[in-house]
Amino acid sequence: MISDFISMNGYGAFVWSSFTFTFFVCAIIYYRTRKTLKKYEKEFAKEIEELSTEQKKIVLEKSKVASKVFSSYNKTI
Amino acid sequence: MLNFFNNSNIFIWIEKLINFINSIFFVLLLAALSFALIFSPPDYLQGDSVRIMYVHVPAAWIGLASFTCIALLSILNFIFKIKNFVLITKSIAPIGLTFTCIAIVTGSIWGQPTWGTFWAWDARITSMVILALFYLMIIVSHKLISEEVKANKISSIIAAVGLINIPIIKYSVEWWSTLHQPASIKITGTSTIHSSMLMPLLLMFLVLIVYSALIFLMKYKTEIIRIKKKNLKRYD
Repeated sequence: MISDFISMNGYGAFVWSSFTFTFFVCAIIYYRTRKTLKKYEKEFAKEIEELSTEQKKIVLEKSKVASKVFSSYNKTI
Repeated sequence: MLNFFNNSNIFIWIEKLINFINSIFFVLLLAALSFALIFSPPDYLQGDSVRIMYVHVPAAWIGLASFTCIALLSILNFIFKIKNFVLITKSIAPIGLTFTCIAIVTGSIWGQPTWGTFWAWDARITSMVILALFYLMIIVSHKLISEEVKANKISSIIAAVGLINIPIIKYSVEWWSTLHQPASIKITGTSTIHSSMLMPLLLMFLVLIVYSALIFLMKYKTEIIRIKKKNLKRYD
């Protein structure tokens, strides 16, 4: 039964290669997008960290994005 | 109302949506794969090779829909100068290119058992290759042109010109004699596909749309951070 499922009446190579290709490409795109996002989050949080205490306070108060990224980065480290 | 659409609020919503999609995605994927590979019947003519349709057709739909979206938003941005539209088009383009390439490759694999060849320069395939080239031009224009306003203008022009290709792809099977069959699924009118195949097809489409939304949200989030990062330099 499993061999029937894999061979798909002789079309297995075509069907499995199509599905594998699709999900492999999707996985790579997901991995790369996530990696870029994490890289930007890290760089952004580091840049906030490097600001003076007063500047940091202003940035974190003014920008929801900055405070979100900064707090989540600090949670991960 | 306009305040709701500022980047800070959008950013918070994006985080919530990403978490939601992550929580449902694998259940949806498992269900779609089960229907596509196990529960759906083989075609009376094509046999089990018809299962390739479950990745090929949704990928082509997403490729076409993404470009239409990019082109319309680019035109609207040209008229109304809405900055968020640029971010959206920039984030959608790589998704569209990915799915257009998936549609071309899986179509080519499907072609071998169905038509006896991996490749034929028929109208539908050629116009899909042209669509992929338009996507590439949009992405490359953003990568190569450092001046943002100029890059946006050029990519908008490319998108607007490329919009002409969308009806060509859609109606290529009717206008020219091609290897592709006419559309089996019609929004207006009766579809000729059986419900036992339509259901897995729509389920797989849902999975790939949810996946596209996830990638789009992550890319959009990256763009917002990139802008905020640039703005942070004002404090130095």
